[in-house]
Amino acid sequence: MEKDQAKPPLAGVIYGGIVYWGVLVGSLIVIIGSVLAFLGDNFVPASYWLSTVWQGQSVSQIWQGATGSLPMGHWYLSHLTTGDGLTALGIALAVFSVVPALFLSSAVLFKERDWIYGSLACVAGVIVMIGVLGLISVG
Amino acid sequence: MEHRQPQPDVAQRHEFGGVQRKRAKRRGILWALVLRVPELSVLIILIICGYIVMAVFSKVHATQVLSPLSMWLIIIGSFLISTVIAIIAVIAGIGGGVMFTPIMLGFTSIDSLVVRATGLVVAMFGGLISSGPFMKTKLANLRVTYFCAVPITIGALTGSVSAIYLHDALGAKGDGAVRLSLGILMLVIAYFLFTGGGKTEYPEPKFIDRFSLKLGISGSYWEESLGQVVEYHMVRALLGGILFIFLGFIGGFFGMGGGAFLTGTLNLVMLAPVKVAAASSGVLLAISDATAIWTYLTYGALISILAAPWMLGHVVGGILGAHLLIRIRAGFVRKVLILILLVSSAKLIARGLEGAFGIHIPFL
Repeated sequence: MEKDQAKPPLAGVIYGGIVYWGVLVGSLIVIIGSVLAFLGDNFVPASYWLSTVWQGQSVSQIWQGATGSLPMGHWYLSHLTTGDGLTALGIALAVFSVVPALFLSSAVLFKERDWIYGSLACVAGVIVMIGVLGLISVG
Repeated sequence: MEHRQPQPDVAQRHEFGGVQRKRAKRRGILWALVLRVPELSVLIILIICGYIVMAVFSKVHATQVLSPLSMWLIIIGSFLISTVIAIIAVIAGIGGGVMFTPIMLGFTSIDSLVVRATGLVVAMFGGLISSGPFMKTKLANLRVTYFCAVPITIGALTGSVSAIYLHDALGAKGDGAVRLSLGILMLVIAYFLFTGGGKTEYPEPKFIDRFSLKLGISGSYWEESLGQVVEYHMVRALLGGILFIFLGFIGGFFGMGGGAFLTGTLNLVMLAPVKVAAASSGVLLAISDATAIWTYLTYGALISILAAPWMLGHVVGGILGAHLLIRIRAGFVRKVLILILLVSSAKLIARGLEGAFGIHIPFL
């Protein structure tokens, strides 16, 4: 069989493409955020983050010392002009690219009348969204 | 007196020629990669420029624990180690978290929740970035990926919520218990890799069950090393689906993806060719960890400054690894991986016993 005959499914190419470019855009934001963090423009100083983590302080100790309480939410969205906020946004955006990738890939599968796999991709997208929105959380 | 230059013998000349040819081939592959994936070169240049700016114009203050230089070195060191781990992880068909999480939990004093959150980033980004090339080359099977995505995301979400809950409820003792159980899990993974290696490159099912047949989880891909298209049929979809709930839980709880188990399940239980299993498990890991990470992120366990170089290293290493996987066999990577797993599991078990039960083990 020829190499050309092994063509990839469109839904897969769309999923892979969105995630790939989503991660690259996220990486760009992370690079800018990391540089800003070292230039001093931060929500919490970079030296504080690195030192407390390196010392082995617990998550609650680190946040208590920085802001007085745990963030319990998407804290970076209200600190987008700071280095650490922008870095967190870049990571979050790159991870989030999975959601549109799953839904668009599912739409293509539905269009191709592949109901089973279209539905499975859609359900997986909904579960990831539940995680993003924090609908299932501790306490 | 006549002086004669010593003549290299024929064997030496052949060896020299062989080395040169290999070098030229390697240069050719790298150059082809630069041309084929220009965004990788742009990204690497931007990262290098960014780290130079961070070093030259740094306004970070010294603390009692770290100097500005050591902070910068932590960032650079994390990036370089992350890149190497990503290449190994993608080729071996596991998440980088399998190496990152046990090493960090075993050999540093960083809080286990921070390590597990960063471990998810490490486990995820190699898979995320390699999803594109794997889907295009059909190494990752779309149907298998979407079929397994539902149980694995359910497991991952449950695992991550359980991790935060137990961390809050048990404190330091819980930390010790996590290290101990992860150490034992590492031994199981090492055993799994040791016994499963090399035997099932192209498994052939004797019988295809009705459920798998109905799902149509079969496929084909171009095998570069054989120079032909390989066709395959997968089996035991129901058992695989049930196992994926459990594997998702492990990944979400320990923050390490459980890629070795995913590849093993796809290869040994569902009978996918080893390369398809490795590629599909990478894509699946990314989806499962993309579900689990939000619990850690919103809790505050993902420290972005620390996670950033690990993410960038995995993006660069993930692209390199994905393009290398198409060309090379994964056998030798397994051996290196087994060694890493054994050493880190010994350290984890020792630290776990100390943290959970106060038992001190000398030399570890």
